[in-house]
Amino acid sequence: MKNIVKIALISSAACLALVACAKKQQPQTDPAADTAPAAAAGQEAAPAMTQAQADSLAAEQARLEAERLEAERARLEALINQIMSEDVYFDFDRSELTEKAKELLAQVGELLLKEKRFTITIEGHTDARGTEDYNFTLGAKRAMKVKEFLAAYGIENSRMESVSYGKEAPKAQGETEEAYSQNRRANFRVNIKQ
Amino acid sequence: MRENLKRFVWGLVLALACVFPQGVFASIDTIAVDVGISVFKTTPIGIVPFEERPGIDWIEERPHQILTRDANLSGRFDVVASEKFNLALFSRSKAKHYMTGKVEPTADGRLAVDCYLYVSQSKTLLLGERYTVPQKELRRAMHAFFDKVIYQLWGERGVASTRIAYVSKIDGVKQVVVSDYDGFHRSQITRDSTISMMPVWTRGNKGLVYVNFKTNRPRLYTKNFGRPEKPLFEQFDQTYSPAVNPVNGELLFSSSKDGKTDLYLGNMETGKARKFAYLKSNQTSPAWSPYATEVLFTSDRGGGPQIFVMGKDGSDLRRVTFMGRYNERASWSPEGDRIAYTSMDNGKMNIYTCALDGSDIVQLTNNAGNNEHPSWSPDGKLIAFSSNRSGTYQIYIMRKDGSNVTRITQAGENTSPTWSWFYEENKPQPKEGSK
Repeated sequence: MKNIVKIALISSAACLALVACAKKQQPQTDPAADTAPAAAAGQEAAPAMTQAQADSLAAEQARLEAERLEAERARLEALINQIMSEDVYFDFDRSELTEKAKELLAQVGELLLKEKRFTITIEGHTDARGTEDYNFTLGAKRAMKVKEFLAAYGIENSRMESVSYGKEAPKAQGETEEAYSQNRRANFRVNIKQ
Repeated sequence: MRENLKRFVWGLVLALACVFPQGVFASIDTIAVDVGISVFKTTPIGIVPFEERPGIDWIEERPHQILTRDANLSGRFDVVASEKFNLALFSRSKAKHYMTGKVEPTADGRLAVDCYLYVSQSKTLLLGERYTVPQKELRRAMHAFFDKVIYQLWGERGVASTRIAYVSKIDGVKQVVVSDYDGFHRSQITRDSTISMMPVWTRGNKGLVYVNFKTNRPRLYTKNFGRPEKPLFEQFDQTYSPAVNPVNGELLFSSSKDGKTDLYLGNMETGKARKFAYLKSNQTSPAWSPYATEVLFTSDRGGGPQIFVMGKDGSDLRRVTFMGRYNERASWSPEGDRIAYTSMDNGKMNIYTCALDGSDIVQLTNNAGNNEHPSWSPDGKLIAFSSNRSGTYQIYIMRKDGSNVTRITQAGENTSPTWSWFYEENKPQPKEGSK
């Protein structure tokens, strides 16, 4: 499930990068077009050489562009991964944010302030103890606390959605306090506004 | 007071008894353990193996074995088993009646089963039924006969012909399944790659309402058996905790929006719904009273979950549970006098019942893993629940006093049982005299 989301995100990031690339190619082709007539006017002796040079120049530019896209894609992916890995943890049957949670959320808030195209879904989760029904309400409360914090940090409500998974999507298996504490969390899914 | 003391002593005895035989819980398909003091008035009944004509290739249990299991599960009988009619044994055991019959193969490969209910002393025939069925439907035929026996002797409807919906993990995904009340004839209802859960029966047992995550959030769907699924109340963000009004079929449910969870009352046909109660707290797990005049629900107004009750019009709100910090998911007994709910103590879930004013609390499960999601049988005699006492979550049935715990699912992971209503088409017709 998470992998699918991740792949979807990466591919959407790639799409976005492609769109960006398509826009920026216009000015970059201009110098190439300029050099061709100049070469034709100045030195008719070696048009083949010029053509080869132009080709290699274009290839070089394409390579640089690909690298730039790759870097941008990697940067977005890293950001998305960072946000998606910033799980916020809660105490048993509580939805208040701990100090540690607030620190983490401040980092996520910073990222979201910089990357205006990112929208997020906040997922609230609970540990395996208790009923399915009550854990949905508890997960909803947790997701909301996170949303409220980020809203106070300056993130528009329109960029955030909250949803409760109750105890249905545990991160850690098992009936130990360690597993429980891993599962009492809110985490993020990131989408990119087109 | 004396009652309480008695209960305490029994509790102690049981706590001790539960310490040693872990193997008891692992034993398959048998009466596993008695918890609590039995308040049931059970009636002894004799069961004699059916007379068999040769030529039957048995792949299922024999008729008397099916009847024995029904009688043990019913919470109404103590079985007095005998290889043949034995008046001395039946008299000594106070078995005033006994069941037996005849079974023979038919020319087209089915079974013709004659089932009889006799008075032991006089051998008077009280009830006789003939079923001609393929062998794989023998079990249901015997359930039908057994419910007729209950009607004959008790004047009440039995639950041997009812069903249970529950959640089963299939290939790692929770799916909604339905089986007969004894765990047989299981069929899968949902086939999604996303989680399905919280099944409840629509009126007349025509179909189910349940939650699915296919839109990446909990949302209610309904499906009549053999028909396509239909999303419900899509105007709401996240919907769950369905409860069908037993009188008019309306649906009470929870919806969470921006961290706040409220109860809504909706019509599944028109799709219209309105807020049921305007309360500051979060509310979930609604449950109707038997005649839909009042509603139980859980509120977190005190911090943790506690059970409350109010009138259908939102009037007369009052708190029911005060013991402990986590009391959730109440359901109203069909007789109307008690509620069953789940309580958490030291991280373990156990099932309790209490009177509607919160008094007379009885703990039904103890010291046997987690025990959750109690659901009453429509005759109010039994409670189905899920427990991980054997290591994995399975469905169990017990009497409403906690005795006679019987496991009805064997493999995989099964949770959230919900008992069907009575099947109206199976309603026994009063007979004029004996046949």
